[in-house]
Amino acid sequence: DSRIQYERVGADVTMKCGSMDWDAAVTWTANGTDIDDSHLNGSYLILKNVDLTRSGQYSCYEGSSWHLKYQTYLKVGVPPKEPVLMCRSNNYPKGFYCSWHLPSPTYIPNSFNISVIHGTREMVCEKDIFPKNRCHIRYLQLFSTVKYKVTLTVTNALGKNSTTLTFDEFAIVKPDPPESVVAKPVPNNPRRLEVAWQNPSSWPDPESFPLKFFLRYRPLILDQWQHVELSDGTSHTITDAYAGKEYIIQVAAKDNDIGTWSDWSVAVHATPWTEEPKHLTTEVQITETTSTSTSSFMPPPTTKICDKGAG
Amino acid sequence: GLVQSCGHIIPESPVLALGSNFTALCILNESCLDFGNIYANQIIWKIKNKVVPKEQYREINRTVSSVTFNDTSSLATPLTCNVLADGQIEQNIYGIAVTIGLPPEKPKNLSCIVHQISKLTYHMTCTWKPGRHTFLDTHFRLKYRWPRESFPDCIPKDTNNSCTISDVQFFVNLEVWVEAANALGKAESDRLVFDPIEIVKPLPPHNLSVNSGILPTVLKLSWENWISAAVMELKFNIRYRIITDTNWIQVPPEDTASPRTSFSVQGLRPYTKYVFSIRCMKEDGVGYWSNWSEEKVGVTTED
Amino acid sequence: LGAGQSIQKTYDLTRYLEHQLRTLAGTYLNYLGPPFNEPDFTPPRLARAERVPGATVDLELWRGLTDNARLAANYRAYSRLLCYLRALDGQAGTAELRHRLGHFCSSLQGLVLSIAGVMSSLGYPLPAGPTAAPGSPGAANDFLKKMDEFWLLKELQTWLWRSAKDFNRLKKKVPPAVVTLRLEARGF
Repeated sequence: DSRIQYERVGADVTMKCGSMDWDAAVTWTANGTDIDDSHLNGSYLILKNVDLTRSGQYSCYEGSSWHLKYQTYLKVGVPPKEPVLMCRSNNYPKGFYCSWHLPSPTYIPNSFNISVIHGTREMVCEKDIFPKNRCHIRYLQLFSTVKYKVTLTVTNALGKNSTTLTFDEFAIVKPDPPESVVAKPVPNNPRRLEVAWQNPSSWPDPESFPLKFFLRYRPLILDQWQHVELSDGTSHTITDAYAGKEYIIQVAAKDNDIGTWSDWSVAVHATPWTEEPKHLTTEVQITETTSTSTSSFMPPPTTKICDKGAG
Repeated sequence: GLVQSCGHIIPESPVLALGSNFTALCILNESCLDFGNIYANQIIWKIKNKVVPKEQYREINRTVSSVTFNDTSSLATPLTCNVLADGQIEQNIYGIAVTIGLPPEKPKNLSCIVHQISKLTYHMTCTWKPGRHTFLDTHFRLKYRWPRESFPDCIPKDTNNSCTISDVQFFVNLEVWVEAANALGKAESDRLVFDPIEIVKPLPPHNLSVNSGILPTVLKLSWENWISAAVMELKFNIRYRIITDTNWIQVPPEDTASPRTSFSVQGLRPYTKYVFSIRCMKEDGVGYWSNWSEEKVGVTTED
Repeated sequence: LGAGQSIQKTYDLTRYLEHQLRTLAGTYLNYLGPPFNEPDFTPPRLARAERVPGATVDLELWRGLTDNARLAANYRAYSRLLCYLRALDGQAGTAELRHRLGHFCSSLQGLVLSIAGVMSSLGYPLPAGPTAAPGSPGAANDFLKKMDEFWLLKELQTWLWRSAKDFNRLKKKVPPAVVTLRLEARGF
């Protein structure tokens, strides 16, 4: 029978050769390789201050007959640290999901158990097939002032740990980033860029639960972003883009009333419209076209207000 | 004196409309008849010291004499009732103060504006034309209410044509009117019905900063708005001039017609000092422009 | 006002109230002092606190509410919440806090009237029966009183979030431009 033995890193491990006496002549192998006698105390195998490399299959054979007397699979690992748990509602008001990970590997199998309590009621957290460490809870009630309490317990052969989160329904509402972000120049407008996007597809009911948006944009030549908050609609026209400079643009979303901002969307790039460079033409034509064409380098058409302090 | 209070005049201290008619009665006490041998037909009415023509008198009976004025504009204070007693000495019986004036006119041109005072504080000031001078003590009250909810009247201080309400509620239609009242009557202005959010004059943007960047023809403005988006979305006007110039140039309003806290002004001259100022108002154009912000200077980089 | 405009204004007022309450509640909880102003503090919800109308609602039930039922629920809740809040604002802390509470109460009163206006413009009767808060014995001690106030503010905040969603749904069903049956507007 294949036996598994778990030991902590740094532990001292002693293995007995099955039912063989202490003074019996035996041979120990690790993953098929003989272990030298320095690790033996009689027929016992002694492994001091084991580390991860000690993991493997250990076999003990009777000295003369080479009968296999004992075999085990040693797994060296650590008990789980306090798991990192995060709960978030990216599809409010359908429900919320919780996902978790361990801050550091344990090198041995762990099992996770999650409990969700809302007031006095325990709720089911349905495990997602993918990603693995995630499950989702369906809201039965909305607009609750009672906090949710989520406790994740992680257990492995070497120990157990848990994390508990307590939160309000509204605090974890965080949509996914807006999708299908598109930015394009506006013909004949050297300083404008039209940006459009869509609600994240994971947001189930934008009609009743409208999102507001945050747009940030900057020319690639600069590091500092400019921001605009937009309370409705899924498009915006940037009106102060640097003429001829390529821009990078991102959008974030938030429920109009509750929760926090999403992550930034995928970045899109666009360059404002610029006038086509003129072809070399004869003298006459040049004089004709120059007077009528408006060069994009002329100062902007602006309303001149005369006196200082005119309202 | 000789004659104790031998009578009195009614009405006691009348307030009379200019140009109206008025009759007063002087009523002698019975006791005086026996003692002083005084009768109503001996009464002489006087305005100040001027005798009222006898044609205006009428002897109602032994003890009562009336005087009638077809136009109160000839009246003045005091109006006295006097008699010639013993050896033709004129003796005053009684006197009243007469106040002449006009009823209040209907206050006109009522208009209101909500001034933002601080981030969370708004005051609404309503002004109106009080109408003609009434020569009387006339009280004005600004009245306002919601359907099924009245508020305490706003009593003007040291003025008769404006009042300021310090607790303004947005997003509920308010009915506002002015009531003028004096001894001769009351008058009400037309009623305005509006949502105070539609008459806001916001505070100008603040913490305006001007930063030059890589491009010598561009300066980037950043600022903060006093008003939260939960109250109203804003649009802006941005103006600028070369520091030595007096003519302002304004960024096309359509370029700053949406909520924002920054704007890159372009098409500037390199290595030049510019002055900037900005104002804001409700995005949909309903309400009033703020004052212009404090001016801020920025310098474009060299080319 | 048409029904659509009335709903939009009521929605704007709800968000304005929520904006006011965000700072006001923080100031008031600081006035109540620790542990009430600690972020993760959740006092037990005693039976007393259940008198305050709860915004919690079954999700499917909430989705399926008729417009009338949705509005009536809001009307009843804020009518009662207003009574509790008025009992609060009489003696609270500094003059500044009392002034802001008074202003907030007035705004909340405006919301009750607005909801009534929406119901009237849609032809719905106002909810019958008591909308005033039921009389209740004072809290046995100061800590219980503060717990009552903690839950009142929390429930009020939650109601405002719910109402914002309620009026969003209504807004979509009765856009401002729709000419609705204009019942005689009571009041003006």
